[in-house]
Amino acid sequence: MAFVPLKLGLSKILLGLVVTITAINIYSHEIPRETNILAFIKPEGQHLRLLVRVPLEAMRDVNFPLTGPGYLDLANAEESLKEAADLWLGREIIIYENGIILESPQLITASVAIPTDLSFKNYDTALSNTLERKLPSKTEIYWQQAMLDVLYEYQITSDSSDFSIRPGVEQLGLQVTTILRFLPINGKELYYQHTGNPGTVILDPHWYHAVLQFTRLGFTHIFDGKDHILFLICLIIPFQRARALFILITAFTIAHSLTLATTTLGLAPNFLWFIPLVETMIALSILYMALENILKPDIHRRWLTVFICGLIHGFGFAYGLKELFPFGGEHALLSLFAFNIGVEIGQLVVIILCLPILRILLKYCTGERVGTILLSILIGHIGWHWMVDRGSTLIEYELSQIIFDGLLWNPFILLTLMILIGLGWFLTRPGRPLG
Amino acid sequence: MKMLQSGCINSWTLAVYFFLVLSGCTPDLTDDANHTVLTPAFEVDPMWPKPLPNHWVLGSAIGVTVDSKDNIWIIHRGNGNPRTEHGAAQDPPTGDCCIPAPPVLQFNPEGDLLNHWGGPGNGYDWPGSSHGITADPMDNLWIGGNGSDDAHILVFAQNGKFLKQFGKPGSRRTEPFNKTSPKWNGNSADTKNFGRVAKISFDVANNEAYVADGYLNKRVVVLDITTGAFKRYWGAYGNEPDDTNLGLYDPEAPPAKQFGNPVHAADPSNDGLVYVCDRPNNRIQVFTRDGKFVMEKIIAKNTLGDGSTWDVAFSKDSQQKYLYVADGKNMKVHVLLRETMEVLTTFGDGGRQPGQFFGVHSIATDSKGNIYTTETYEGKRLQKFVYKGQKPLKTKDQGVVWPTVSR
Repeated sequence: MAFVPLKLGLSKILLGLVVTITAINIYSHEIPRETNILAFIKPEGQHLRLLVRVPLEAMRDVNFPLTGPGYLDLANAEESLKEAADLWLGREIIIYENGIILESPQLITASVAIPTDLSFKNYDTALSNTLERKLPSKTEIYWQQAMLDVLYEYQITSDSSDFSIRPGVEQLGLQVTTILRFLPINGKELYYQHTGNPGTVILDPHWYHAVLQFTRLGFTHIFDGKDHILFLICLIIPFQRARALFILITAFTIAHSLTLATTTLGLAPNFLWFIPLVETMIALSILYMALENILKPDIHRRWLTVFICGLIHGFGFAYGLKELFPFGGEHALLSLFAFNIGVEIGQLVVIILCLPILRILLKYCTGERVGTILLSILIGHIGWHWMVDRGSTLIEYELSQIIFDGLLWNPFILLTLMILIGLGWFLTRPGRPLG
Repeated sequence: MKMLQSGCINSWTLAVYFFLVLSGCTPDLTDDANHTVLTPAFEVDPMWPKPLPNHWVLGSAIGVTVDSKDNIWIIHRGNGNPRTEHGAAQDPPTGDCCIPAPPVLQFNPEGDLLNHWGGPGNGYDWPGSSHGITADPMDNLWIGGNGSDDAHILVFAQNGKFLKQFGKPGSRRTEPFNKTSPKWNGNSADTKNFGRVAKISFDVANNEAYVADGYLNKRVVVLDITTGAFKRYWGAYGNEPDDTNLGLYDPEAPPAKQFGNPVHAADPSNDGLVYVCDRPNNRIQVFTRDGKFVMEKIIAKNTLGDGSTWDVAFSKDSQQKYLYVADGKNMKVHVLLRETMEVLTTFGDGGRQPGQFFGVHSIATDSKGNIYTTETYEGKRLQKFVYKGQKPLKTKDQGVVWPTVSR
């Protein structure tokens, strides 16, 4: 008998929870699918200004006064706009001066702009429009289509300090893209674009910041790419002696550095089919290595094929680096070099971790030749499926007329390739035992 | 491998051979002396947009626009053969596929479907035959209609919320209206209603809407965006519009003194000009914003029937250097140098493959200079042409701009 009242009570509780949750969802607006944010940061004298433009619909949990079918009631919206700014921007964006948090930013103004307003194209027009422009109160702008322009000021000790920012705006949408421009006192303008949460961004980094950051990026990039790791493992299975490994890894490193550099510097082809081609070729390179391991790997030939595969993998590395490249500030080449170093360190770590395991496996479990074949079959199988999946996208394009353009028509690149191939031949010509 | 080991063909030789072969394949970069011009180059993106969900299919797609966030909106009629196309929409269903998609669809630049709405609802009169969709400076969507009774314009917010209606359907009926043999008359002097609107475009700086009015009337109308109040209107050559039927287009006759039907687009440029598509007369007339005639350009003069000038869009540089003209009869897009209105090149051809057209009806550009087109009749499609920069042009008619090496 006691069970029945409990059951009814539980039902009521559950019903109450459902109603409450539903009510909360009605109150708190939907999270926008895509949110694009524009921002400027400029230190001047004892103040640092932060100008931000965000879509108003990203400012959730704020009741904006509305009129008519959903127009923003501009005459009565000021308080709610300030509330939205403080809730989603002032409290979330953290700026550092010389590593110390700048506390208590002052909200100077929060105003509304129409979606086609272009004042945020540069800092001066953004600032003047945010400070001076007020839309006429009779302007009919549907609230979800309005833009919120916000100006914050921070007290700083010097406008030539080192500044960094933790944007903290990744909650404003399912996918948040931020375009940030930093205007230091020397008159430069540095441009950063990122998606999601980039962590702490050093504005106008020194050379050592760029080196550290991009070395770390290169190192982690290796571990984000399953295809690169599989390729490396496949590469080293039959060649575990130091000299052979050195030659192969060097060939791979030089090749991918070349294409990584040229792509990052904008010299690679930019046709629509190019990325699908690169991804398919990376998968094919894994399959090829696996097949060569099974048939009979030969160091005299492998270094050349590894070199060619390295060129392809370099394109793959580059497309991960492109978005992050501006974070190196003015140290573009150094950032590129550091990224490469990071990639090499990552590769070495993979090899150092895998080599002992491979040696134990091949020596004590399966035997060298059988083990090589079995592992290569497994890896080749994965490579095959990747190649088919990626190739299904590629074959949508008309392949018969595809000719490599851009990179290979650059005489400097061609000459470099010929010198490297010649050097490699010299080092590995018949009569010089290797591996 | 033996040959490699013997050194007969070693790596060096291979590399030299490789270089020579590739050198031989170097594209001929010398231009044809007769066609050495720089034009914007495009390639169709055959992977765009991504397939629609829910077994949805498009009907005749009669409008495309790009909003301030570079999202792409289209409107289509959902028309199709119930037996062969809309089996899943029948009661009972006759097959697994397909169902007409909602009339208004929103895509992001990557081609994902973001939103969908449209159709009859409370508080407004959905057009008998929708026609044209354009985003205004507030990112609201304006929709026209060329159905028999359509004499109005609808305005919606991006989430499909109805905002405004200008004009009243049925205003062009002859009175007394005979349902057995109904008739409608154009009235290009009406300052409250329209005559089957083809398209609406916007002058942001002056808060004005330009209405291509249209399939029954013979004028361009300028409205206040906020209130919908009529500000001015004009006919061909800036004259007072006249609704007299001037008969079929004759390529050998002097250009008609009035617009034909439909007046299919009226797009203002950044420098104070307005480009009007007089479709059956194969011409674009250029005016100042207050309706003063500047010049006209006839395109594909010998085109009969539906005519050649269906819609226009501007290149996205600040000078709007190029004008793109959708030609749904000749199945191509013309690229004009706007300053002189010279046709530099065309791309596209008739067909069903990506990069081909069937009734290319509407055209729009995004902030990156990419072109979007929709096709009516049985075309029923939205396509994207990716801007590939300025390149020397080798031929006047490029045909299908397939994504390959630069031409």
